[in-house]
Amino acid sequence: MSTGTWAELSRDAFSVAFFAYLLGMLAAFHFLAFRRKPVWVVSVAATGVGLAAHLVSIVGRGVAADRIPLGNMYEYSLLLSFLVVLAYLVFVEGYARVKTVGGFVLAFAVITMAVAVLFLYVGPAPLIPALNSYWRQVHVSSMIVSSSLLALGGVLTILYLVKERRERRLPSAPPIMGGAVSIDGAPPHFEAGADEPPQVEARARRGWLPRSSTLDRVAYRVIAFGFPIWTFGIITGAIWAESAWGRYWGWDPKETWSFITWVVFAGYLHARATSGWKGRRAAIVALVGFVSLLVTYYAVNLWIVGLHSYAT
Amino acid sequence: MSLPTAPRLSLRRSLALVWRSLRSMRTALVLLLLLALAAVAGSLVPQVGVADARIAATFREHPLRARIFDQIGLFDVYGSWWFTMIYTLLLVSLVACLVPRTRAFLRNVRSRPAPARELDAMRHYAELPVRESPDQALGRARRLLRRRLFRVSGPNGARALAADKGLGREGGSLLFHIAFLVLLVGVVWGRGTGFTGQAVIVEGQTWTETHANYDGTAREGRFFREDHSGVQVRVEDFRATYRPTGQPRDFVTRATLLDAEGRELERVDIRVNHPAEAEGVKFYQFGYGWAPVLRVERDGEAISDGPVVCQQDTAPEGVSQLQTPWNCVVKLPSLDPQVGIRFELWPDRRGLLALLQTGEAMPMLVEYAPVMTWEAFEGDLRAELVQGVGVLDTSAMRPLETGVLGAGETVDLGRGLTVSFTELRQYTVLTVSRDRGLWIVLSAAILILLGLLPALYTSRRKLWVTAEADGAGTLLKVGGFALQRRSQFEQEFSRLVRDLRRVPDERVGS
Repeated sequence: MSTGTWAELSRDAFSVAFFAYLLGMLAAFHFLAFRRKPVWVVSVAATGVGLAAHLVSIVGRGVAADRIPLGNMYEYSLLLSFLVVLAYLVFVEGYARVKTVGGFVLAFAVITMAVAVLFLYVGPAPLIPALNSYWRQVHVSSMIVSSSLLALGGVLTILYLVKERRERRLPSAPPIMGGAVSIDGAPPHFEAGADEPPQVEARARRGWLPRSSTLDRVAYRVIAFGFPIWTFGIITGAIWAESAWGRYWGWDPKETWSFITWVVFAGYLHARATSGWKGRRAAIVALVGFVSLLVTYYAVNLWIVGLHSYAT
Repeated sequence: MSLPTAPRLSLRRSLALVWRSLRSMRTALVLLLLLALAAVAGSLVPQVGVADARIAATFREHPLRARIFDQIGLFDVYGSWWFTMIYTLLLVSLVACLVPRTRAFLRNVRSRPAPARELDAMRHYAELPVRESPDQALGRARRLLRRRLFRVSGPNGARALAADKGLGREGGSLLFHIAFLVLLVGVVWGRGTGFTGQAVIVEGQTWTETHANYDGTAREGRFFREDHSGVQVRVEDFRATYRPTGQPRDFVTRATLLDAEGRELERVDIRVNHPAEAEGVKFYQFGYGWAPVLRVERDGEAISDGPVVCQQDTAPEGVSQLQTPWNCVVKLPSLDPQVGIRFELWPDRRGLLALLQTGEAMPMLVEYAPVMTWEAFEGDLRAELVQGVGVLDTSAMRPLETGVLGAGETVDLGRGLTVSFTELRQYTVLTVSRDRGLWIVLSAAILILLGLLPALYTSRRKLWVTAEADGAGTLLKVGGFALQRRSQFEQEFSRLVRDLRRVPDERVGS
């Protein structure tokens, strides 16, 4: 196949993945509201199909450009959204057995992909010399893997904050037939997570989302997994910067923001171990980290001029 | 709430108070977030050395705001007193946190797990009758725990074991924080004793690494002791290659490195991402440009001869840098009246031709019959004013003549003056720097990662086992808890109990 065909294949597969995620997202939200198990199956199946098409899109892009497809913001977004969905399937659906947050994660992936194709698209092309380094592959891939994990943690943290607020508003003795339960049509134990509470309380407290403690724990795990990789990414970035620009750290906006994100998530990890900061306060710190991650990822390239600008 | 009745703090007590608050995690947390906040400011406001042009623009357009920003150090956040204060306080707070923690940790490492009472009050507790003697059962439990990397103490006369695991969590956390401290020290020391600057070297020239040769671009650290290396760089040639689309492919400076005495050290190719090093000084490919060799003669006698470094203006929006001509200036202060000539160089003649024919210049990727347009001026160069080499101040001069000059040609300016464009060379711009803290910083960064993993992924667990004779067999009681990752410990605990229940066959009845 010619380069042009591969590029076309990549774009077609992108569309398939995009609409599959969109379908998966709608199905997931439907499941969240009405708890019909077949709808959940549809959601996960659509997500799986989307993921496969997504992989084809990434590989096609790489073949078309004749290099590893990690050279510009469009390609980063392609991989980032792929990994967010993959991490969601592995950690949240698989490991933590939480079935009700898929819609939000897919929404994040769909938005990332839409932004990528609308604002960041560039044709496949070779790289400029500064990007031509082995460190680029190590640096960029670890940054994207960790971004996807931290972003997933961010989405879960938002859900945690929503749920935690609802739980605080519930009366301390949970009513057997609370308002939150009436929407619920699913069999009582279907959505039970790893450590769901005794049945009655679970039914009363469940509402639309998993228990806040579950969300908190899964969010923490995902962030604690992503944080060392982010650290590694910054270190390899510094090594690369040293060989390309003659200094390992120069307060370039992208560097600065990756550091800010690192500091904020480090603050989150500390906050979880500090009395008086656990729970909501720590989650707010993680939320700030999530916003900082988005600024690092998008705003620095699109609005702030710096050495990383060529990555657009 | 009447403040005046509060007891007055003595100096010593307030110092103790400050020290105590520095030791708290909350203070460290707040300082960490303040550091992030300061960095945000630094990324939004243009910074000295990164965006000087934008700072100048701010001073022009919003003089009041610029003055305020300048006063409080917002244009140089990372060098400002308050940024220094935040990270110094953070360092102090880190040390204040780490000293007692390290002490406690070492105590913990040296001591053995302590016995406990009331196992049944633990979060995890199990009783299991086994058919062996209490001593056998305890011996087996001890081996089992040892195999799973628990530290075990006992049984010291009593029929009880105490075990724990997961010192790596605190150890890793301490390693992470100490390595972070070392990293900061490495950064400050390396930058402080080092320097960085830019060297502009024309093909065929030799450049010596001394303060004067940086033309004011050198930035030397606070503790730098004027120990420039004197290393010499002889540039053989420079080559920039482009793809047909105008996208750069490669920039290479072929050079020979010589020591301060002129002995040849090494021949190197310096390219982007592939710096060269000599005597601790590193040379990085940074930029390049054109340098025509111009010979000016008066009445057949050379008064100026050599390569002239040309600069390029930033291309306007929508025009590629490769379509833009290069500007250079020759000043002849020895003449009376003084003469200055301004040149515009087109390394590829077709670029200029395309501009004249179609109104749009062609990207100039290679040298091709280079040509220069020139304007000569006569009068006062005003050399008493500080001005760059590439700037010609014509306010006290009158235009003399203009023209075009191709490579290999000579033009007559009148008054016995001739200018020859002998050949076109390129110059390379190298970033030169020395940072002796590099290895400290890199090792500390690796230690940070190594510490982070156990700090995040292991947990501190404590277990106790007691054995009581119970008829023919023994009743084992196991209790324990985990300080982190409790749901995993639940599984670990039940696996352990399951294995303790399994008495090897040959023991039965013995």
